[in-house]
Amino acid sequence: MKLKTVIIPLITLGICIAIISKWTHGFKAFTIFSYSLEEASPLNKEFPEIQLINHDSVLVNLNEDPKYKLANFVYLNCPFVCHKINNQLEKVYHSIDTLLVPSQIEFVTISFDLDNDDVERIRNYRNHFKNIPGWEFAIPYEVDEQEFDVFLKNIGVWIYKESKNRIINHSTYIYLISPDNKIVKIFDPEREDNNSIVTEINEWINTGQNIASL
Amino acid sequence: MDKYWTKYRVVIIITVFFVGFYLLSIQFDEWFTYTMPRHQIIQLPLMFLLGVLLAQAFHSWRVKDLGWAISGLIFIFSSIIFWMLPHSVDKAVIEPEFNKLMHVNMIISGALLVAIYRELIFEVKIFFLGMLSAKLGAAGVIMKVFNLLLCSSFDIRQQKETGNYFIFLALVIFISTIVVFFRMPSIKSRERSNFLGY
Repeated sequence: MKLKTVIIPLITLGICIAIISKWTHGFKAFTIFSYSLEEASPLNKEFPEIQLINHDSVLVNLNEDPKYKLANFVYLNCPFVCHKINNQLEKVYHSIDTLLVPSQIEFVTISFDLDNDDVERIRNYRNHFKNIPGWEFAIPYEVDEQEFDVFLKNIGVWIYKESKNRIINHSTYIYLISPDNKIVKIFDPEREDNNSIVTEINEWINTGQNIASL
Repeated sequence: MDKYWTKYRVVIIITVFFVGFYLLSIQFDEWFTYTMPRHQIIQLPLMFLLGVLLAQAFHSWRVKDLGWAISGLIFIFSSIIFWMLPHSVDKAVIEPEFNKLMHVNMIISGALLVAIYRELIFEVKIFFLGMLSAKLGAAGVIMKVFNLLLCSSFDIRQQKETGNYFIFLALVIFISTIVVFFRMPSIKSRERSNFLGY
């Protein structure tokens, strides 16, 4: 067998594997959601600053809050998945030790639908949840679409607005942000169960407390 | 009729090719990208078949060297894998230019497959078809079994439906491969290379 018969296919195979590897971030990201997250690599990076306004019309800046924050991104016209994630988060909220919420950790749900969601809508939406002190629902405040797109891209949140309807396709990751404003953990609620999320949050908070006490 | 076909074969095939390309890639592109089954089960294979059609006009297109033939098969197989990745599917639906790249890639793959098959030994032809069947079957099972949305441009119902179609396609290719393989036990190697008329 000629050497050429082996070398040429091997080179071709190498090139094809390299292209697919690059496209999937080293065979780690096969979906557009995971690719966007890998591309941004937000873990251990600072959570970018953004001005928000919450359901009580109070301005909020997550960077100035010296607690753990659990942030997720939704839009209120979402037909299904956002509400499913928030229902799951509600269970997580009630599973965490009440001594920790809201003294050590706060929940923040941020809408990325700048066109349709406003303070009144998020207030009405929040009212569907019972007894959730320390869980804020917010929208970006005086942030234009381009700026907000950059913010979302920096933390690896992928969104795509379909032109034919009001549907926004998006990733559903939940971000755990430390008191010193670093993204320390990213949860995928569609793959992880509530118990593992709660356990990890408790570990982070307790570890943080232990380090602080040294 | 035969006389006209022989005389104008190339012109007819190329005309049909361009009409097909216009309809599939331009006129009805939005229709095809509207649902996952239309995009993955109809548009993608039809683009591949357009390439196969184009190669019928040029009998001189032959890849004689085994090394280059295997390289071509690796390229074709990798192309199919690439365009079935959820990331690629989403990108193709969102960006029409990227979708056009898929069309061109599939046409080239289809034409290349014909050029390769014309000179390829029987065993490698069967092996390639077997691998293709396995790949489609695996993709179909993943889409059917996963309860997680893989492609954001579509929904879970479409994903599972596409999975069913992929499994069906895989079975068709597998059974066809088996039937052809076992119908040719006594044919000599050179004649067996004349698989599917190439």
